[in-house]
Parts: sequence; C-alpha cells; structure tokens
Amino acid sequence: MAKDIRTEQKRKSTYILAVLCALVFLGGIGGMLWNLTRSHERQVEILQDGKILYTVDLDRAEDRTFTVTYEGRTNEIEIRNHQIRVKAADCPDQICVHMDWLESAPIVCLPNHLSIQYADGESASGLDAVAN
Amino acid sequence: MKTNLSEKRITTGKLTELALLTAAALILYVVELQLPNPIPIPGVKLGLANIVTVYAVYRYRPAEVLMVVLVRIFLGSLYGGSMMTFLYSLAGSLLCLLGMLLLRKVTDDRTIWLASVLGAVLHNLGQMTVAVLIAGKGVLFYLPFLMTAGCIAGAFTGFTAQLVRNRLAGKS
Repeated sequence: MAKDIRTEQKRKSTYILAVLCALVFLGGIGGMLWNLTRSHERQVEILQDGKILYTVDLDRAEDRTFTVTYEGRTNEIEIRNHQIRVKAADCPDQICVHMDWLESAPIVCLPNHLSIQYADGESASGLDAVAN
Repeated sequence: MKTNLSEKRITTGKLTELALLTAAALILYVVELQLPNPIPIPGVKLGLANIVTVYAVYRYRPAEVLMVVLVRIFLGSLYGGSMMTFLYSLAGSLLCLLGMLLLRKVTDDRTIWLASVLGAVLHNLGQMTVAVLIAGKGVLFYLPFLMTAGCIAGAFTGFTAQLVRNRLAGKS
C-alpha cells in the first residue's frame, strides 16, 4: 500500500515537472517573439559597464568609425548607411563582430563590458526620455 | 540513522572515479570549444560537459559533485583562455547544481532529463545575473533566447546522462 502512494506521488511530481518545463520553454519562445517584434526608437546607446558612453541617432549620424577601449582592449565601432556594428574587436570570442549590424538584439561584448542597444524608456541609463 | 565515519570519507577508489569524471568533463568542454557555434548569441551553447554533472548528481553525494564541478570550471576557464567565462560558469553552475540536487528527490531514472531541463534554465538564470551586473540591463533581451536554448540543450544533456546512467547500471 505504502508503495502505491509513493509511486502515485512520484507520478504527480513528474507531471508537475513536465508542465513546468513546458511553461519555461513556451515562455522563452513567447519572450523571443515579443522581443523581436517590439518596435524601438532609432536612438542607439553605446554602454560600458552599464554607463552610457555615446548616444547616436542613426537617422542623422554620419558615416564614421571610432574605437572604444576597456582595460587596454578595444572594440572598433562603425556607423555606415544609418546602421551600426562592431567592425573589429580584440576579444577572444568575436561574438560582437559576428553579430554584424545592429538589429533588434543588442550587440554585446562581454569580455570588454560593452553593449550597443536601441534606447528604450527603461534602459540602464536611468533617463526617462530624450526630448527631440 | 547514524552515518558512520568511514562512509563519509572519500576512498581512493571514489577519488579516482571523481577524477576520471572531471577529466571526462574537461575533455567534453575542450572539444565543444572547437566546434563552431551555429547560434551567435552570447551564452548559448550545448554544454556537453554538463552531461557529466547531471550523471554525477545522480550518482554521488552533493559535496563530491561540487568538487567535480568546481575543478572542471576552474580548469576549463584556464583552457578556454578567458577568466570572464569563469564568473559566468560559476554563477550558472552553482545555481544549476543547487536546483538539481533538490530536483533529484522528485525524479527517478526515467525523468532525469526533466530535472536537467530545469537545471539548464537555472544555469542560464545564473549566467544572466552576472551578465546584467557586468553589461547592464540591455542583455536581458537575450534571456528568453537563453531559456529556450537552455531547454533544448538541457533535454539533450539530460537524456544523454540518463542513457549513460541506465547503461552503466545494466538496465539498458
């Protein structure tokens, strides 16, 4: 009898676990879609350690290339045709370079503590809004 | 129930097993570093070395699993050449380990993979916390991507560990 109860409990917890996994998975997919379809402004922030280094208005920005340094390591950032990307970096993984031109997902270089992202109302800056 | 002292001590045989597991995890880790990552999202990877972690969680005591994981992360970060990864892996792995040790109580040999899925997601949450501290809230954009990928990777590593465990236990 005791064994029956235990297997019953086991089945129940397995069921709960499975539902939990499914929820996390579906939540992840939902979050991905939401993040990708959300509209954003054309204002771009370049952050280091969560602090804004530059703010760029892509609609008005002129083509140029500049360098951001972190503890001696550099990221070369390029603005061209109203788009922005990390052109070169001396970090080992090169993820930021492979991410190419900025789309909805922020470009992040974790080794150099750098991120390039569209400005939102709730960005890390603490600014509520930028008046135009 | 009293546990006697000799049971708590790690025997030479046990130490050898743990060392072997650590070596296997490191090999998997280094091999994975050489594979091209098809998904260029920071933090997304298969996590082959976690097959060993999941297996160890179901086979050894918490302190022993912790030893294997800590040594693997430390040496893995050295081999990988970046101490940055050390922090992420550490935060992720500790959270994952904690969760899996708790989940072990409610799972059996056929549901290891479910615990592994949740463990992988916990790993992602740990990583994410460190990433937010380092790079700011912008990286939260990636959280759902990490979670989805974590579910898939966790299911894969979990199934593999489950297979290994059942094979080694002779249950085919």
